[in-house]
Amino acid sequence: MTSPIDARDLPTRRRTGVWVAVVIATVMVAFVAVLATRPSAADRQAESPLLGRPAPALIGTAVDGSKVDVSSLRGKFVLVNFFATWCVPCLQEHPELVRFAQRHQASGDATVVGVVFNDSMSSVRKYVSDKGVIWPVVSDPGGNIAFDYGVRGPPESFLIDRAGNVVSKIIGTVRADALDRLISQAKARGL
Amino acid sequence: MSAVLGSGAVVLGLVASLLGIVTIGFGLRRRDTRLLSAGRTYAWVVLAAALMATGAMELALLRHDFTLKYVADNGSRSTPLLFTTTGMWSALEGSILLWALVLSGYLTVMVRHFRDRVADPLVGWATLTVFVVSAFFFGLMAGPANPFRLVSGATPSDGPGPNPLLQNHPLVAFHPPLLYLGYVGFTIPFAFAVAALVTGRLGEGWLVETRRWTLFAWGFLTLGIVLGAWWSYEVLGWGGYWAWDPVENASFIPWLTATAYVHSVMVQERRGMLRIWNLSLLLATFSLTILGTFLTRSGVLDSVHAFTESTIGPLILGFFGLIVAVSIVLIGWRADRLRSPGTIDSPASREGAFLANNVLFAAFAFIVLLGTVFPLLAEAINGDRISVGGPYFNRMTGPVGFTLLFLMAIAPALPWRKASGELLSKRLIWPAWSAAGVVALCALAGLRGFVPLLAFALGGFAGGAAVRQLVLSARRQGWRGLVGRANGGMIVHLGVVLVAVAFAASHAYAHSKEFTLRPGQSAELAGHHVTYLDTRTEQQRNKTSISARVRVDGGKVYAPALQRFPFATQAIGSPSVKTGWRDDVYLTLVSAPDATTGETTAVIGVLIQPMMMWLWLGGGLMGVGTFLAAWPGRRRRLPTAPASEPVQELAGVRS
Repeated sequence: MTSPIDARDLPTRRRTGVWVAVVIATVMVAFVAVLATRPSAADRQAESPLLGRPAPALIGTAVDGSKVDVSSLRGKFVLVNFFATWCVPCLQEHPELVRFAQRHQASGDATVVGVVFNDSMSSVRKYVSDKGVIWPVVSDPGGNIAFDYGVRGPPESFLIDRAGNVVSKIIGTVRADALDRLISQAKARGL
Repeated sequence: MSAVLGSGAVVLGLVASLLGIVTIGFGLRRRDTRLLSAGRTYAWVVLAAALMATGAMELALLRHDFTLKYVADNGSRSTPLLFTTTGMWSALEGSILLWALVLSGYLTVMVRHFRDRVADPLVGWATLTVFVVSAFFFGLMAGPANPFRLVSGATPSDGPGPNPLLQNHPLVAFHPPLLYLGYVGFTIPFAFAVAALVTGRLGEGWLVETRRWTLFAWGFLTLGIVLGAWWSYEVLGWGGYWAWDPVENASFIPWLTATAYVHSVMVQERRGMLRIWNLSLLLATFSLTILGTFLTRSGVLDSVHAFTESTIGPLILGFFGLIVAVSIVLIGWRADRLRSPGTIDSPASREGAFLANNVLFAAFAFIVLLGTVFPLLAEAINGDRISVGGPYFNRMTGPVGFTLLFLMAIAPALPWRKASGELLSKRLIWPAWSAAGVVALCALAGLRGFVPLLAFALGGFAGGAAVRQLVLSARRQGWRGLVGRANGGMIVHLGVVLVAVAFAASHAYAHSKEFTLRPGQSAELAGHHVTYLDTRTEQQRNKTSISARVRVDGGKVYAPALQRFPFATQAIGSPSVKTGWRDDVYLTLVSAPDATTGETTAVIGVLIQPMMMWLWLGGGLMGVGTFLAAWPGRRRRLPTAPASEPVQELAGVRS
């Protein structure tokens, strides 16, 4: 060191440097801790009074005119997906729903039931035929089903276990991989 | 075949990196030149491994080797050659491979560049640092992000192809590689910063060594970001080019800190000040690139560009933590040696302006970082799900941007140390007239609104200052007046002015509307006339596209389209743009006529985006300016070797 260092203020400066380093280090540790403990965006689940309880009845007429009753699907995991054709995140999550449905189509251990949220039947029919929706889509004219499930705005999805209880509620777009994880977690808990 | 070759290459790269670390580590410890020189040869092995792995991946993609999971997920027999090739970086594992390839390229160039200085511990430590980074990325590929994993079960006969958005524009071939050249390029200055801190050689010598490396990385990052904006404009169909999306921000935050560094390093070179700050900026820039990698690849944030989830998140976060920890410990340890020999004499001086510039860039970076991670922080604290959008970023960064534009006009006119009022008024009179002229012209042209006019005025001011500087130096030195750091920097400034002005114009004066039109029907928006002619359906090898033919302003016919790829349920809109100096007419096909219902009307989205061409030109000019700035200018004097440099070590070093 050939630099002329002013001996008087060296100790204080050095301490300042250390303090600043300690403060920054603390902030960074907290930051990394927060990031490390964040669940994946796709795994984030919402609170709902329905969790762990029997799913509200979901009986209705599908877009193709057939009758749908979710209680007849006992023995399978059912993803009840509230959607609308005007909702952009619903369009975004659609490929993931397709992937999820296709994965489980062969084994038959899980299925999707779509529920129309505040939308016209004509645009839903077009959506179903355009996008190749392979699961039943139930119309919900008075919004009664959405009310029973406490849905505020689409997309919201509920995973119902084999015994007909609500396992989890997902607000926002779903991902096929995350749904599979939820199912295997539920299976691990013996549901 | 590819799997064996590729996996072998990945392991080879990992082993060579680790051997490099160990050999150089021992060499440094024992001061053994032979070991140091043996260690650096591993760089070539790493490069060979990366090339082999890349070759194996490309071969597998081109030969549709669906035994590889990556190819089965991202390749398809019907995808055109170009997009099959770019398939290498269209998903997570391949993008890590591209990262490793670029890094090994930089590593070998660095080793070759400093081949005469093998014995220098500074170079040794820097090489070691780069080996650590490369070991990490090869390690990711050898472990959780293995691009050469085989499919489980039967080999599929065909795959879905890359994400549809990544196979309809040739920019996909340029944007990611350039962005990575930028991102990864910061590894070299980072390595030298670490090396300088470890060896205690905190003089200015290493800054000069890495100046050009930083400039190149910065230039590539700039071009990568601008091309990304262009790609998003041409492909995504929403008519915008920047959405403050987490992934965009992840590239923009290191750009901001690097920009701050490129400026403040000059203060250090000239005056020996701001050393802790400069080192921190370099360390922060590199850490932020890794943080960006974490945010985009771990799935913690919702984003249109985020890669599908994977398990590499915790590893990258751990690496980020390691880098930050090493940086903080090193700086804390060396803080006493980093004291500045001088102080800033007057705020109205070049160094004062650079300091202000740095505070602003740091604030800018902080605002963007905060907005990006805020949803995560808020959720951690009280469980709320919040999304932070464009309004926050625009409102918060706007004033910072304006102040930076203002500084950009003033700073080139300020002398080092202290400015007198007289000198300033003499130097600023020309730029001030240019600002006034611009505003007068805009007002005459009927443009209104405080914010855009302020942006134009400041643009005129800063542009005037840059042009004045260039004219003066060109008059003095001829063509050489356009190269070198200061002059190249002024050209970059002109590019920034164009970008800023275009940004302001497109935010203030864009018009958009959707029209439902029958064939032959016309509509008008902001002085542009569009006529819908008809729709055509075209069956191509890898997609079906329905395009609407639209005549714009009675001239050429444009064809915005909806494209449907097999395996993808959603139709992808591909916009068609009439580009002009004044504005772009951006057409999208929102909904096509439906043959089954006999409906003949089409919904055409029309967006008039002013001055978009200026934005791309500005980006290009920034690239050109960076290149000119890296060109050796007229050396006025030797780089300063301030008092803190240990003289005895340097004597043997400088060639």
